[in-house]
Amino acid sequence: MSESQRRKYTQEEKNRIFDGEFMPHIDSMYNFAYRLTFDEDDAKDLVQDTYLKAYRFINSFEQGTNAKAWLFRILKNSFINEYRKKSKQPAKVDYQEVETYYNSDDVDFQGTTDLRADSVKDMLGDEISNALNALAVDFRTVIILADLEGFTYEEMAKILDIPIGTVRSRLHRARNLLKEKLRGYAQSMGYKTDEEE
Amino acid sequence: MENNGQGSSEERKLQCSDVSKCFQLLESILDGEMGEEGKEILKEKLDKCQPCFEHFHLEQAIREVLKTKCTKQPVPHQLADSIRQMIQESK
Repeated sequence: MSESQRRKYTQEEKNRIFDGEFMPHIDSMYNFAYRLTFDEDDAKDLVQDTYLKAYRFINSFEQGTNAKAWLFRILKNSFINEYRKKSKQPAKVDYQEVETYYNSDDVDFQGTTDLRADSVKDMLGDEISNALNALAVDFRTVIILADLEGFTYEEMAKILDIPIGTVRSRLHRARNLLKEKLRGYAQSMGYKTDEEE
Repeated sequence: MENNGQGSSEERKLQCSDVSKCFQLLESILDGEMGEEGKEILKEKLDKCQPCFEHFHLEQAIREVLKTKCTKQPVPHQLADSIRQMIQESK
């Protein structure tokens, strides 16, 4: 990194970028952190760490590029590199689930055709939230980024350091897993999930 | 409800020849990754294929519920202030 890049922004510019472009994303950042850690204090620490890093490395942020994606990438990396090691409650990873889905070419999901849009709409927040939280962290993450935060595949590829094709297939698998869990809830709620005769 | 309305589905084929490919395509369209081309493909699929029609509406419903029910984690009040304070101290 050249001297000019390192000293890119004046103190005033730094403050303006930080307040104007970084801080407005604090709600989304906290939501992401909470859904990664399942713990309020850990989520708070993770968001704090992320913002401190964002400030420290503010000269590598290009104005006019997507600040939210940049921040999410830092948060995701902090979670993987530091947080997960010292976590009180390590991210629950169901390796069996991950293995099955990563190694299987057969991702057809005929089973969900009997989950109805109407039963999903009638679900309370807890069911959908629990279903999302029950997914392995890699799958949970792509759903959060795409469906909760509205990132494009290209942005997600940058945030996660994976190719766009992997984003697409991981998301498809994540959604199949989510539907499988929702189907379980729908059945236990007494919705008719079988094809009507 | 679209699933039991015989009238709405009688012109759609009841079997999708390539469920995996179609569903993945529908998801990409819903994700806004297919642009204008996506709108045409979508119309064609929804008009002609019952499994695609149902999958599309299910996916749409799940997205709406996710967006309305899973994004409201209340942020601790002091978080923004404590971040600003930590940055002041680090200068």
